[in-house]
Amino acid sequence: MSDKTTSVDPLLHFDEDSPAAAPDRPGFLPIETNWFDRIFISVVIWVALSLFWFRFIEPLGPSIWISNAIALALAVLIVRKG
Amino acid sequence: MQSKTLGWLLLAPTLIILFFFGVVPFLYVLWVSFHQWNPFAADPGMSFNWATNYRQVVFDAQFMASLGVTAAFVFFAVVSELIVGYLLAQAFMKDFPGKAIFRTIHTLPLIMAPIIVGSIWKLMTTPSIGIIPHLLHNWFGYDLNIGQSAAAAFIVTIIMDVWHWTPLVTLTLIAALVSLPPDPFEQAQIDGANKRQIFWHITLPMIRPAILATVFIRLMDALRTVDEVLMLTGGGPGSATRYVGVHIYKEVFPRTNYGYGSAISVIVLYLTIVACWLLYVSLIAPRTSKKG
Repeated sequence: MSDKTTSVDPLLHFDEDSPAAAPDRPGFLPIETNWFDRIFISVVIWVALSLFWFRFIEPLGPSIWISNAIALALAVLIVRKG
Repeated sequence: MQSKTLGWLLLAPTLIILFFFGVVPFLYVLWVSFHQWNPFAADPGMSFNWATNYRQVVFDAQFMASLGVTAAFVFFAVVSELIVGYLLAQAFMKDFPGKAIFRTIHTLPLIMAPIIVGSIWKLMTTPSIGIIPHLLHNWFGYDLNIGQSAAAAFIVTIIMDVWHWTPLVTLTLIAALVSLPPDPFEQAQIDGANKRQIFWHITLPMIRPAILATVFIRLMDALRTVDEVLMLTGGGPGSATRYVGVHIYKEVFPRTNYGYGSAISVIVLYLTIVACWLLYVSLIAPRTSKKG
């Protein structure tokens, strides 16, 4: 299942036996992730993209919903393939 | 199974407290951030305004400026605290006369309330009555006036933060250094490694989790600094020390703009989480293997 390459401090990975914390498979992200990590990354990207859109793109016309759609597509990609 | 249930039962009080005092206030602030709400205005009601507050934040030049000075403040304060804290921790690992007294005195700033720290530094840096401007004038001919010089005010806030919080870093690093096993150090010495090599290749990697935990704590604290700076400089001169915490305070309390203040708070929380996560990813997150 998991493909670990480095040993890390056990104190930082005390909850590895929980389903959410177990890395499931290598994806395109450079770090080991579980589904919760990938949802977190997706939310971080969604907020960053929204703020960027508000500041630079929306004044030119395109609606924030386009940004949301892009963020949703990215989220699906990251959660499934990340 | 039984031990798992017992574990959850023992955790339950903490989880309930965390939920009501952590999660619920966060959700409330998030909810308020999507509203126009000034409870002291002619219309004190909350009106939902979608993401208007967030649109306003990204065009708020004063907020952007405060983010810039906060980033500089956090960088210089945390790096200085780590370096000074590590040096002090190494010093406390050795025996010297008066070590116990010095360690007690060194820890005293930690138990002081930030508002008191701000008051003390205000008294110490006020021209004509403060000891610091007096000594700087007598020794170097430099007239320190944090009410007029933006650079001086900025530097003094960093020194104040370092003075206040370095003991925390020292104590954490002492705990980490004490727990290190002696074997790798003895082996390195036998192999002829010098002090610098031992530091970079043994000490630093072994105390990295403790350093990272300390950086997380200090980063989060430094990003929300309000009372010390508000007491010392009031965010001035101009906006030289108007860090995000001070900016939020001035937006929420004197102007009672709760919706907008909440939106700024949420963005600052977001930036704090992202900064900590990036640190975690860059320093200790396990990497995936690339095969083929």
